[in-house]
Amino acid sequence: MNDIVKIGSRLAIICAVAAVVLGLANAVTEPKITIMKKMKLEKSLEQVSKGMKIGKFTPVKDSPVVKGYYPLTDKADKRSGYICKLTGNGYGGDLDIIAGISVKGKILAVILLEDDETPGLGKQAEHASYMTKYIGTGEDKPVPVRKTQLSQKDADAVTGASITFMGIGKALAAGSSYVKKLGGE
Amino acid sequence: MLKEFTKGIFKENPIFVIVLGLCPVLAVSTKVINAIGMSAGVIFVLLGSNIFVSMLKNYIPDKVRIPAYIVIIASFVTIVQMVMEAYAPSLYKSLGVYVPLIVVNCIILGRAEAFAKKNTIKASILDALGMGIGFTLALLLISLIREVLGAGTITIFPIGSFSGVIKIPVLVDEPIRVFGLSAGALLVIGFLKAFFNWYSEFKGARS
Repeated sequence: MNDIVKIGSRLAIICAVAAVVLGLANAVTEPKITIMKKMKLEKSLEQVSKGMKIGKFTPVKDSPVVKGYYPLTDKADKRSGYICKLTGNGYGGDLDIIAGISVKGKILAVILLEDDETPGLGKQAEHASYMTKYIGTGEDKPVPVRKTQLSQKDADAVTGASITFMGIGKALAAGSSYVKKLGGE
Repeated sequence: MLKEFTKGIFKENPIFVIVLGLCPVLAVSTKVINAIGMSAGVIFVLLGSNIFVSMLKNYIPDKVRIPAYIVIIASFVTIVQMVMEAYAPSLYKSLGVYVPLIVVNCIILGRAEAFAKKNTIKASILDALGMGIGFTLALLLISLIREVLGAGTITIFPIGSFSGVIKIPVLVDEPIRVFGLSAGALLVIGFLKAFFNWYSEFKGARS
């Protein structure tokens, strides 16, 4: 019994010291990480807004994919679209996406904000060029969610990372449908 | 004592001879900059864990030594992760899931169990540095071959007006793409391992 207590208490002390050290490391790095994430979000919003005025963020609670949206207005103060914060399912976990979508559901711009995809494969989705296959879809053309909906060149490009491609596609399709339901209100 | 340092570089190279920690090597060796970042993280964690395991070898009960080593290693990895996310975000993004996976990198736990728990702090530091440098050289060699052949570029840190990407004429326009994929990683590691085996036998036969 004494032996178990001794062993357990020594392991507990090691864990406690590790927790204190990690707490200190977090206190030093956390403010810097928060500032950087905020700056990154602002820059990304600017990029997907396509020069339109960004309104106040509205959280969405009734959708598993659409986490919220920023309304977009043009120079005449007319509602021209939305920036949606979306969560897709990737190979390595959640995919945090922001997408500029017109009031008719057309995908205007997409940025993958956060992901844990495989370097060299799913992580390719972080490049702006990866998103071109989704741009312009959602209104007349469906958002691609299967490789068969892509050109041979685009299908080859997503080989080895089909789950990432489908995860982004399904999230954008859900975002496009949600915006259509909002109907420019 | 110097032997503890030099053995990890060639004679007991963790990648080509002991064949430990191949998973992150296969995954992150697509770019030279990834190899530099990953190696820096592994050296830091290896050094920290070897020092603490060696320092606490008489304090850690034998029955719970593996959980205790994992706590020590995971703490150093989490520190690396936090520092990388705060001060080198692009590298952190590029390495992705392989930074937290350093926790289960066999080299780290392997050296704690096989060396640090039986040796002095000084010898453990030299072992960690030797193994870390051996890992770095192996990873740099693999990533250099893969990036040059598979993408026609060499990506290092951007400095001033230099973007950090060196383009190799001809290869940049017509790269051999398979080297950028998983199959290419296995091919490169296989050929380099074969070369190491041949060289070791050749050296042994001569001596």
